[in-house]
Amino acid sequence: MASLLQPDRVLYLVHGEKKIRSPLSTLYFCRYCSELRSLECVSHEVDSHYCPSCLENMPSAEAKLKKNRCANCFDCPCCMHTLSTRATNIPAPLPDDPSKTTMKKAYYLACGFCRWTSRDVGMADKSVASGGWQEPDNPHTQRINKLIEYYQQLAQREKLERDRKKLARRRPYMPLAFSEKYGLGTRLQRQRPGAPITSLAGLSLKEGEDQKEINIEPAQALDEVEPLPEDCYTRPINLPEVTSLRQRLLQPDFQPAGASQLHPKHKHLLIKRSLRCRKCEHNLSKPEFNPTSIKFKIQLVAECQVLLTLTNPVENITHVTLVGCEEGDPEDINSTAKVMVPTKELVLAGKDAAADYDELAEPQDFQDDPDVVAFRKSNKIGFFIKVVPQREEDGDVTVSFKIRHDFRNLAAPIRPSEEGDAPTEAIWLTHHVELSLGPIIA
Amino acid sequence: KNSAKKVLAAGAVVCVESEIRGEVTIGARTVVHPKARIIAEAGPIVIGEGNLIEEQALIINSYPENIAPDSEGVEPKTMTIGINNVFEVGCMSQAMKIGDNNVIESKADLGRNMILTSGCIIGACCQVNTCEVIPENTVIFGSGCQRRVQTERPQPQTLQLDFLMKILPNYHHMKKTVKTTSAVTPAKN
Repeated sequence: MASLLQPDRVLYLVHGEKKIRSPLSTLYFCRYCSELRSLECVSHEVDSHYCPSCLENMPSAEAKLKKNRCANCFDCPCCMHTLSTRATNIPAPLPDDPSKTTMKKAYYLACGFCRWTSRDVGMADKSVASGGWQEPDNPHTQRINKLIEYYQQLAQREKLERDRKKLARRRPYMPLAFSEKYGLGTRLQRQRPGAPITSLAGLSLKEGEDQKEINIEPAQALDEVEPLPEDCYTRPINLPEVTSLRQRLLQPDFQPAGASQLHPKHKHLLIKRSLRCRKCEHNLSKPEFNPTSIKFKIQLVAECQVLLTLTNPVENITHVTLVGCEEGDPEDINSTAKVMVPTKELVLAGKDAAADYDELAEPQDFQDDPDVVAFRKSNKIGFFIKVVPQREEDGDVTVSFKIRHDFRNLAAPIRPSEEGDAPTEAIWLTHHVELSLGPIIA
Repeated sequence: KNSAKKVLAAGAVVCVESEIRGEVTIGARTVVHPKARIIAEAGPIVIGEGNLIEEQALIINSYPENIAPDSEGVEPKTMTIGINNVFEVGCMSQAMKIGDNNVIESKADLGRNMILTSGCIIGACCQVNTCEVIPENTVIFGSGCQRRVQTERPQPQTLQLDFLMKILPNYHHMKKTVKTTSAVTPAKN
């Protein structure tokens, strides 16, 4: 199927804020708006945090406290692989009788990829398998925390002043509860025009709390800087000891220049995200909460709803009409060939999962014009189009046309049917499709 | 060429399904898995003790690229491999001199002009074809063949060797070894 193996051959046009052309396998279909959506016209929201190596879920408040790092797992500072804990037996004196020695287990961290061990940087072996490893403290933490508190207070004061200037007094408690978590992510934040959008606004104190005055001293500028060592230019470089830029910047607190100061850091958490249509605010994709599960609670992928290269994914009979693009069509920018599509309507049978196994099924009785339809098999159809390349030079032949089909929204809310007739009505959808047929062979 | 002697020291465990061609000497306590290939084309190969050569590993002493196999005046150079080395599954080594306690991981590729000292680890799928002596305790890893120096050399695989020397003869036939090291008789195969 072109959708799986050659994804860029067939492109669908998505009418969003930007006109995006992308293969159907990357698109979603909002069944409330009845439109295609791409990743750029949906809003991405954080659903849950989890660690990629121990697959442990972490609630968002705890994740924020731990700076989005796992408590148990470490990353190798040299190659960023996950570190594993290894055990050795070392002789240790018994507490009762110092002359006799017994074997005790000592644990150290080791990387299976680059063979880095925690003993390389001088970290002593621990006697417990997990929980004994600490990251070194940043010497500037106190100063940074004090600065953050001061600026939080400042931001809060400025926010109050701005609120007082506005005439309508908004109730602040609802939006504040949301803004504390994610800043710009949620809908209520976005819909307030002119709201102060600073990253610190989310960290503000609640109203009514005591506000003690925090004073900070400005940073002192020093006249004298430590001079470079004398042999700075003449000392030969020990290349394995020099850290690479990536290794250095992954530890922004210390940025060590020597490999013997590279300490392991806790592993960064990953997130599961949910997608929401921007127009109707319905969820398009919502993953499962469990980190080990890759399924979705809601997943409205376009392949399940929109017709594929004339394979009918839905279970009803579908009528398809192909219409060539007219001259001067504003959406038709990429095609390098003219196409003559069949003018008649093509009928596709519904998808029936049991049809393969049912030997007594009646053969489908569609009258097919042999000039138009090449073959028909269950819910697939092959048809002919004529292509006239417009350009002489070697290049890819790209063809675009519009496909118009009927779609029944099976998930629409059931209206109280007083009339008693079929609850679902067909809507006609039109999609602009671009097909890349490959290079011209002379 | 049929007079090329293969000397398998007593205590070496060499499976019959392995392919050993040319003049090859294998030390004691070395285990050669089935489907390993040791080919001494352009000169003899001397393998030390306690080595572990796994399946589909290829140790080949081949002619340099610009010399035809039958040209005159080509002296056979000996390839020496030290003790306690590990050649993992699918690796290929053409290095003429390998020291002790090295590990050549799966699908690694060593060129002819390399010399490994001791404690080196050539990572999986790393192709190294430079003309240099790798310093001790070097680790080559990653798709870009990054290097770093480790503080401790890899441990000799004594446990694994003991296990294999007990279990392999239960499932495979072994090639004959010499009874004493002084009597060097041409072995069949």
